[in-house]
Amino acid sequence: MSQSILDLCRSGVRAALRFGATDAEVYGQSAETTSATIEKHDLLMAKTQQETAFGIRAFVGSRLGFASTNDVADLERACREAVLLAQASPADPGNVLPNTQTIAPVDGLYDPAAEQYTTDRVVEKAIEMLRIAESVDRRVVLGDAEFASKRSERAVANTRALAASERTTLFLYSALATAKDGDRVSNMDYQFGATRSVGEIDVEPIVRRASQNALDSLGAEPCGSSFRGPIVLSPQAVEALLVGLILYQLNARNAVRRQSRWGDALGRKVAASSLTLVDDGRRAGGVAASAFDREGTPHAPVTILERGVVVSLLHNAYSAAALSQPNTAHAVGSAQTVPAIGPTNLAILPGSASKDDLIAEIRQGLLVTRFSGNVDPVSGDFSGVAKGAQLIADGRLERPVSGTLIAGNVFECLETLSGVSQEEETIVSLTLPYVRVEGISVTAA
Amino acid sequence: MQQLLERIAAEAEDWTELRFQARQTRTLTVRNGLLESSTSVRLKGVGARVLALGVFGFASTTDLTERGIRAAVAAARSAARTSAAAKRDRVDRLANASLARGVFPVDTRDPLDAHPLEEKLALALETEAHVRAASAKIVSAAATYDEIQDEKVLVTSDGASAHIFDSKPSFRVLAVARDSGDQSLGYDTVGVTGGWSDLFAARTTDELVDHAVRLAVDSLSAPQPEGGTLPVVLDPELVGLLCHEAIGHTVEADVVLGGAVTADKIGQRVASELVTMCDSGLSPYDLHAVGTLPVDDEGVVTGRTVLIERGVLRSYLHNRETAAHYGVAPTGNARAFVYSDNPIIRMRNTYIEPGEQEVGALFAGIRRGYYLKGFAMSGQADSNAEFMFGVREARRIVDGHVGQLVRGATISGNAFRVLESVDAVGNDFAWEKGAGACGKGQAAKVDSGGPHIRCTLTIGGRQE
Repeated sequence: MSQSILDLCRSGVRAALRFGATDAEVYGQSAETTSATIEKHDLLMAKTQQETAFGIRAFVGSRLGFASTNDVADLERACREAVLLAQASPADPGNVLPNTQTIAPVDGLYDPAAEQYTTDRVVEKAIEMLRIAESVDRRVVLGDAEFASKRSERAVANTRALAASERTTLFLYSALATAKDGDRVSNMDYQFGATRSVGEIDVEPIVRRASQNALDSLGAEPCGSSFRGPIVLSPQAVEALLVGLILYQLNARNAVRRQSRWGDALGRKVAASSLTLVDDGRRAGGVAASAFDREGTPHAPVTILERGVVVSLLHNAYSAAALSQPNTAHAVGSAQTVPAIGPTNLAILPGSASKDDLIAEIRQGLLVTRFSGNVDPVSGDFSGVAKGAQLIADGRLERPVSGTLIAGNVFECLETLSGVSQEEETIVSLTLPYVRVEGISVTAA
Repeated sequence: MQQLLERIAAEAEDWTELRFQARQTRTLTVRNGLLESSTSVRLKGVGARVLALGVFGFASTTDLTERGIRAAVAAARSAARTSAAAKRDRVDRLANASLARGVFPVDTRDPLDAHPLEEKLALALETEAHVRAASAKIVSAAATYDEIQDEKVLVTSDGASAHIFDSKPSFRVLAVARDSGDQSLGYDTVGVTGGWSDLFAARTTDELVDHAVRLAVDSLSAPQPEGGTLPVVLDPELVGLLCHEAIGHTVEADVVLGGAVTADKIGQRVASELVTMCDSGLSPYDLHAVGTLPVDDEGVVTGRTVLIERGVLRSYLHNRETAAHYGVAPTGNARAFVYSDNPIIRMRNTYIEPGEQEVGALFAGIRRGYYLKGFAMSGQADSNAEFMFGVREARRIVDGHVGQLVRGATISGNAFRVLESVDAVGNDFAWEKGAGACGKGQAAKVDSGGPHIRCTLTIGGRQE
């Protein structure tokens, strides 16, 4: 490509104005990805992918249209289409561009060493994951695993004098393990890891954790009896059961849509005092760190829940304008989507108790490693299977259990949450502790 | 493009597959009286897959010049050769198949492009307004129209050369009701392979609105179910979901080779003899099922595959690699969502054949159980056929009569044990996947369905 992504974004903005837009934004991204996939405990395939894409938001007054193309030669046509879509749309006063601010770069997003990370090194890493699983226990099977190396550039320009770009590198790795012992097959366990730097690539912890969790669930038997009581959630179960609903409720777009109970809850207590939630789009080493969001607003640390009280919703330019609140720079999305709202490096701050302390206080309960179920983000009702679960009896882990259903309401869980662990795990861009919640219905299958 | 791809494939040293794809996606979402988004996304590129030294390599490019495509082929070949030393089980050969040649148009009399954007936008605006007007308890409403239109050219070095067109529109309605601080969600969707009028042949937008609003409003006062293992009647949507998610994935031959519960079970009884389950690239019983495709992404002409015949496991779902491994014919299940995805084994339209019972008769004889309808938000199934699905609409059955709605119901169990428990199969049939898609590292538009069935399974609920 003879022109830079940012230059092409700028030329797209000019084209949109020529076609009749009153304001415009062009977001561009290009990426080269090399990956190697493990399937059935064997190397499946290596793959390379090169892509470039542009997303154009054209504003005609407060009418908005969006078009995207992955063909540089098609950019002008896409700009014209975005304007035509805007002209055919009803007006919405929330359709605005963000105020342009000075963007300070974030260090450590791009590792030049990644340029030498060739296909054979990617394949080597995938094979290393296989060998690690075998070293944990010969009964472990890596059913699915992947190692990927990605170099990207993204840029955004708009009619408010915004012109920003940054390059990033990212290494992503995942492992799905099961354990087989004769006819006995464990639950699967899935773990992820990521880093931006070649020197920090470390596939071992995730492969070991997935393998050990799979082994621990071998020989699981039904729970025996149904009861209502406390459960301890692993960081991965916290993500599946609690974080999705919290983010849905704190997404300011859902407040605008009148689909959030917490849309007007600023300053109100919605969860136990032990729950504090922060998001930092500039956090050093965070794999979701970057200088600016999808709309070009600079990232900054945000406290979302403080001791159970709602401090801030997550905003992009639309929701900030619609609710007259500060824009928190949480516009997310690709060049093929209009900017939505989402977290960056999100963390529930650790508590003072150890994971063992949380378990020791339970007479009858469950430790849930993974939750496979349904959480209704509107009503808060959840129901699903406790995977990799261990029965807790008289303060100790008694035995693995299978086919056990848990059900309750997440809003009630957050209010009655009775413990947050010191220990925490990072799951790609989330950093989460173990959490104990009360009054959960546990149904033995 | 077809001639260029044929020439490059013919000159390739190793087995080579080239797939050009141009996709246009259009989405209109109206929410609470405002147009939330009007988007048009165009993608085009070529995916190249090469089999060298017994290993596949894959590369994709958006550079559609001859030089760009040849570079992608070289990158795929290099990826394959780099991997060869580390690969344990090499691919000896690909199974022979009836490879497609020719043009494969969309089967519709009413193409999407014959209907202007304004007409589609007007329908979304009008439908969303109907949701808000349907009840004072509705606090949020949305209507979304989506369309995916594809043009593909698929060429392989061993003879496939197909020019394929596809068109998959869908429509979704969402309603959120609130009362005394309590909120609940209702929604309904339709989706087809076909044109504009095909989309609303099974259900009109008014019917979608009525259903979504009724669910949202009625759920406000609904209790949670009591958990336990009970007799239930499943509607065609949940039957389809069970077929696809809990059984279908375990008969995908790549999953079978990974150690699925179905390994070594061909010829064995795995379900009640009332159950015959199939996966088809065609659309039997009712036209325009979402997963309909005439040719898969290896160039294999599709057909109907009987997976379970009167309770006995008969076949897995294959691509050309696994078909060679098992010594059977490919079933036409190799699919890739976009040009940058390599083809993997995916389902198409998966269903249970209808039986002989009147649907009403299925409820008789159930003293205490549930009538379970539709899929809610999320679900998961393991390769051991254990599954968990949220249920959109669960109603108590008492002494053979369908009654009170309960909310937040989840079903779980082992899908084969559920199919073994089937003691009645209705004589009705519907495709019900709607606007949804299947995920397996990449998306695929699929459909699933069947008749109503009666069986036994576990419902998650509240313990006192």
